[in-house]
Amino acid sequence: MILEAKNISFCYDNGNRQILNQACLKISSGERVGLSAPSGFGKTTFCKILAGYEKPDGGEVLLDNRPLADYGPYCPVQMVWQHPELSVNPRRKMKTVLAEGDRIPERIKRGLGIEKDWENRYPGELSGGELQRFCIARALGERTRFLLADEISTMLDLITQSQIWNFLLEETKKREIGMLVVSHEESLLKQVCTRVEYLERIDGA
Amino acid sequence: MKKWNRRQWMVLLMIFSLFLLILVTGGGLAFSEAAGATDFSRRNLAPCLEYPFGTDFMGRDMFRRTVTGLSVSIRLGLLTAAVSAVIAFILGLGAAGLGKAADTLISGVIDLVMGIPHILLLILISFACGKGFWGVVIGISLTHWTSLARLIRGEVMQLKESNYIKIASRLGHGKIRVAFAHMTPHLLPQFITGLVLLFPHAILHEASITFLGFGLPPEEPAIGVILSESMQYLVMGRWWLALFPGLLLAGVVLLFHFLGQGLLLLLDPEQAHR
Repeated sequence: MILEAKNISFCYDNGNRQILNQACLKISSGERVGLSAPSGFGKTTFCKILAGYEKPDGGEVLLDNRPLADYGPYCPVQMVWQHPELSVNPRRKMKTVLAEGDRIPERIKRGLGIEKDWENRYPGELSGGELQRFCIARALGERTRFLLADEISTMLDLITQSQIWNFLLEETKKREIGMLVVSHEESLLKQVCTRVEYLERIDGA
Repeated sequence: MKKWNRRQWMVLLMIFSLFLLILVTGGGLAFSEAAGATDFSRRNLAPCLEYPFGTDFMGRDMFRRTVTGLSVSIRLGLLTAAVSAVIAFILGLGAAGLGKAADTLISGVIDLVMGIPHILLLILISFACGKGFWGVVIGISLTHWTSLARLIRGEVMQLKESNYIKIASRLGHGKIRVAFAHMTPHLLPQFITGLVLLFPHAILHEASITFLGFGLPPEEPAIGVILSESMQYLVMGRWWLALFPGLLLAGVVLLFHFLGQGLLLLLDPEQAHR
């Protein structure tokens, strides 16, 4: 499968400057593309558009030459957000987070180091790193074909980072999931990605 | 001995409050006959063992009258709080969920009702509805929903913008499912606490408009009636006619306040450790 961003332009409603201007990117299954840019250049916005959270002002997002919306209510392009504590409902137990995803197998939970008794806790009772594992697991449902990782490991210590990335590499290789890895850290991108893109270069402006 | 935490104390306090409130309501129902009984052989007695709150100029037992009055207030408070909470919930949801025009309209109505002094609007509505029990009920119900409606509107708007609700919709969950799964755990505690905290307001306003003569009729043993009657006798030194009913009214309001605060503490998982 190929995920393609075609001439994406975007500007937030508050009338600020044009964030994305005719940005183009192609990712195929099994590829892991790194995306890097300085702060405030629209990395997260680009991910939100690719995963269908925002509608671009111009251009379109295509999955195998069909618009994303054609693929039904479950979006095959899933995004993991930078802030896990904002991505889970503080009033619901962690097991409901996993139940929200598309049939998350036991293998994924164990692979990410999620412990059984965490599932009966509320988000306030877990640390950021522990929450992020749940968010990653939730995004890896059966129908997920592309995973957008927006700075998912910035809050983790190095040992946990490597544990999670090793698992993600293994899992995405096995299921041929394409990845977009957003990060400031050049060394991380070089380590996990098959190629690295810079937002300034894929952006038309 | 095991030390109790705050939640356990709160549960105890809530059970105690609830028990007292039920006792007052039940007592009022049982006393309703005796509360109006006049006996001129026992006029104007100061508080004693037999009549702990004294008697008034017609020889009525003030203790029984006060308890009956409070029980009327509590039942009236229950009814009005429930009605205004439901109005608040529907209008709050409508403002947040039905688009910009509905929001402007409903927010405008909220501002309008909030802008007019409570008691003035209350008197007008109650008077227009012919005073009495239903006048008071309609008046209080139509004036007390505004702050809860605003709260619910704000909460829903904030929830709609939250990441976890957007994520749920990208994971293929429908709007109704998201509303039930993600919004109810936030809205229900707000709603229930708001409902309970409306009681004391309703009771106090009932007492005030009755005191001013626009509420319950003078033959009813209501707290407002008792207090306004006692005004004439205060200067003659019959302090018990106002003091005990006033204290008991404040006490009942406080009990409802404890109930509301307790619910707030118990229903919020972020406070689970206290």
